Amino acid sequence: MGPKRVAFRWKRTTGTMSPSNPQQFQRPSSAGRTTETNSDSDSEFVDEEIFINARQAASAMIDSLFTQLPPIKDDLVTHTSELQDETVDIVLPFLSGEDEEVQYNEHGVPNLTREKHIQFLQQSLGRLPGRFVAADASRPWFLYWCLSALAMLGEDVSSYREAVAETARSMQNDSGGFGGGGRQLSHMATTYAVVLALALVGGEEAYEVVDRKAMWKWLCSLKQPDGGFQVCLGGEEDIRGAYCASVIITLLDLPLDLTPESPAYKEDGSANLFTGVADYVRRCQTFEGGISGQPNAEAHGAYAFCALGCLALLDHPGRIIPKYLNVRRFVAWLSARQYAPEGGFSGRTNKLVDGCYSHWVGGCFPLVEACLNKSKDPKLPPPTQSLFSREGLIRYILCCCQDQTKRGGLRDKPGKMSDAYHTCYVLSGLSSAQHQWLLDDDDEDANLETAKTPEWIALPYLDGEQIFDAKDRVRPIHPVYAIPQPNVRAIQAYFRAKEGF
Amino acid sequence: MPPKGKKAKNGKSADSSSTPGEASTAASLEPFPPAEPGPSTSTAENKPKGWTVFVQSQIFFDITQPPTPTWIDRSVLEGKGGAEAAALWLAPRLAVTHRLFYPNELGKVLGPKSQEEIWKAVNNSPTFPLRVIKRRQKAQSFGIDSRGREVGTYTLPEFEAREERRIKLSCLLLLSNRFSELRDRERRGFDKSVVVTEQEYLEEKARRKEMAQLQKKLYGTQGMAKEGKLALDPEWDDVTPIKLEEPEKALAAIAYTADYAEAMSYLRAVMHAKEYSPRCLKLTEYIIEMNPAHYTVWLYRAANIFALKLSIPDEFVWLNAVALENLKNYQIWHHRHLLVENYWPVIASDPRAIAKFAEDERDFLTKILAEDTKNYHVWSYRSYLVGKLNLYSDPEELQSIEDMIDADVRNNSAWSHRFFLVFLDPKNSSPGVPATQPDSKVPGHLVDREIAYAKEKIELAPQNQSGWHYLRGVLAKGARPLTSVEEFAASFVVGLGEGENEDVRSTHALELLAESYIGKEEPEKADLCFSRLAEKWDRIREGYWEWLRQQS
Repeated sequence: MGPKRVAFRWKRTTGTMSPSNPQQFQRPSSAGRTTETNSDSDSEFVDEEIFINARQAASAMIDSLFTQLPPIKDDLVTHTSELQDETVDIVLPFLSGEDEEVQYNEHGVPNLTREKHIQFLQQSLGRLPGRFVAADASRPWFLYWCLSALAMLGEDVSSYREAVAETARSMQNDSGGFGGGGRQLSHMATTYAVVLALALVGGEEAYEVVDRKAMWKWLCSLKQPDGGFQVCLGGEEDIRGAYCASVIITLLDLPLDLTPESPAYKEDGSANLFTGVADYVRRCQTFEGGISGQPNAEAHGAYAFCALGCLALLDHPGRIIPKYLNVRRFVAWLSARQYAPEGGFSGRTNKLVDGCYSHWVGGCFPLVEACLNKSKDPKLPPPTQSLFSREGLIRYILCCCQDQTKRGGLRDKPGKMSDAYHTCYVLSGLSSAQHQWLLDDDDEDANLETAKTPEWIALPYLDGEQIFDAKDRVRPIHPVYAIPQPNVRAIQAYFRAKEGF
Repeated sequence: MPPKGKKAKNGKSADSSSTPGEASTAASLEPFPPAEPGPSTSTAENKPKGWTVFVQSQIFFDITQPPTPTWIDRSVLEGKGGAEAAALWLAPRLAVTHRLFYPNELGKVLGPKSQEEIWKAVNNSPTFPLRVIKRRQKAQSFGIDSRGREVGTYTLPEFEAREERRIKLSCLLLLSNRFSELRDRERRGFDKSVVVTEQEYLEEKARRKEMAQLQKKLYGTQGMAKEGKLALDPEWDDVTPIKLEEPEKALAAIAYTADYAEAMSYLRAVMHAKEYSPRCLKLTEYIIEMNPAHYTVWLYRAANIFALKLSIPDEFVWLNAVALENLKNYQIWHHRHLLVENYWPVIASDPRAIAKFAEDERDFLTKILAEDTKNYHVWSYRSYLVGKLNLYSDPEELQSIEDMIDADVRNNSAWSHRFFLVFLDPKNSSPGVPATQPDSKVPGHLVDREIAYAKEKIELAPQNQSGWHYLRGVLAKGARPLTSVEEFAASFVVGLGEGENEDVRSTHALELLAESYIGKEEPEKADLCFSRLAEKWDRIREGYWEWLRQQS
């Protein structure tokens, strides 16, 4: 260690603390400290002493990677480094097993408080107070986030079937697609969320809500000549549009032909809904290696997942990803999203970790691994071990992202309020960290027309030590559709068996 | 209106003309208290202030409905049977309509002798069921007020005040109807002399507000025809709002505020009618104030602006304020994009207009990025704008980015924008070359300049990944090998693998060094770098370093 190394200024950053988590104020911020001794305690605090001893034992099991400052830190202080320091300051006590309200296992990891999260999600599906007005155009997201999270937590969400069907119906437009609410313009993101919510509750009653013919026409009207999709009529074109469209098309088994009204229609019939999508994705890769929302913007974790997901729906990841993306640079950028000591992922270079990237970034790894496992390129060898620190991500999720108060739910980071969005994507990230996916190796010569959706097989990830309790393993989700695999199979089989619309 | 109410009203107006206070009215009635209060007025007392409307009404009824001579068939009185027959005829009628026989009232009709006979007859009659005659069973309701209280239980002063409001409301309603009629005539346009002035319009707006308040006080929210801001605005009279009908089991339904729900129901109506008008524009502004995250409203706003050919610069001014108040909102930025697309044809042929517009935009972007330096949507818009106005080689644009990097060398958004400015300038790049691929059209001096720039910034903070990503991006664009910066990278790494002597000031330098060694086919050296990264300097990425080592 050179002289350059400076001590963190361990200052209190109460400004970002949430009042709902008073317990986090009680603990000292103890950076390099890994254990707590309590020499003042006398015999009347025997319980406490035992507790502290247990804590000592637990923190001894925590790799110092997660309890100490990174080995290199620049002197120069800027706005970015201040925010980063504050974040490390906030998360370290959580990672060090110092939350007195929380029970840790022998690895210094708390349990997944399932019941609280389930209750939080059920409430989020109920009637929302007026201050949620900003969510008025994204109510379908609440359906997807909550149902998907409940499913991952092992709940049977089919009991919501009728309610989801009714809600979805009220948001569907005759001209195809679903809006953010009744009589709102159809939007790609809300349609995506509705379709996934319907798939999650499953059953004919839910599936039949979708007017597939209108949906197909509407998607055609959003398809752009450059390969991408607008998110709504007159709306922006970005990679979310391409990903959401690909998900909708493949889940609903829609025809790929374009209507003559489509902006991308070609007289000779050479263009279809998927034409140019992969090229569009290619244009979104940036010099950093990551993916931007639209060409020429900054690489961003959420768009990285959209890009890979979109490609993985067009063809086998092993074929299509190396064809359209610089995989080396992509993986370099992706891997750099994981920080220590936090363990979680950031969305962009020099931004802070946020629980939601557990999915957006963490969810890229199964797709990258599927790509590399099939690769014949010596420059892109199949990895012999996990490409990211699963332990780090699991620690960040279980230690920092759970709201341990009775509110429940998961969050961006300590000090932030839990919400449905984070609860869903943090749990999706947990699913990525706890499982590995194998993709059946289909025929080399299979082409786009005959290729079936490749079948993913989810297995618990068992290499190395498991730092979480067995009961805290969440249900695996499909690495592209981000809902449990049986739900994906069921909806696809239902529509495939249908003739015409 | 119920008959009772009418009577009460008549009674009220009668005594309000004679006296300012009900106390004296009540006092004058004191000699005639009911034998028993009405069924629902058990609290009524024989005191003026305790007198309720029910009590008052009862007394007025009793007074104002005496048995009049016309009620009595004189032939009965004068014919056979005489007084006894008359009494039997009359008594039930009296008993039914009165709870008391008022001797003096009877006296107006009959002489003392007849009266005496009647009473005798009544008393002696074996058939006259004097004791079982039912009294009026129930006082009729005077209505329920806004708090759910029976108006009949009002004290007289309370009732007076309520009546005052009712009369006022009726008068306002008349004036309001007159306004509507006038406006309709104006709209029909047959008579050009009929003009609704601004003053009249404002008066009507104020009037409706007052009416709504009166209505609310009188009747509560139930049954109110108009209450919301828009419903009260005469400008929206011709629009029938479309209420949102949520299904019974709707999930994640939001308990909207009344104002928001009303505004949205008018929006649905005008959007359904495809109306584009100044009032629609105002409506979108009103909704955006309450919920700026509503894409439907924004798109509709843009459609209005374009349909009405409104001034785009004016809209920019309005939008700037909204954007500064809603930093995290991204609908704003697509709206801005649409405005630029629409504005472009107007300025495209005028370089000065373009320069002015570019300057205004840059000023605003600088301002908003000062608030939120890495706002993704602002930066995305900025790169769009550069492309649209061809600002790639605009020295001010580049300077503005350099200022931001100087302010925070870790601002990766600014670095990304710089890369875009320099390497995607159509003048210096080939279309369609992926960002990570070499482009032979990029001039060498630019590559040199940018390498030098990156190195200079890396020196400030060697562990700042933005500078290293940029450096590698530039190298790739310029088809320069990693070995060309190997020496530079090595300057941040001392004594690798030499135990105590080992010092690394940048993991990114070590990473670059390792890959440079791979390129030079020096796998042992690369291996050492990866090992040290995995073991000490960047342990969290151990799996990644291992994967890179597999390639060496």
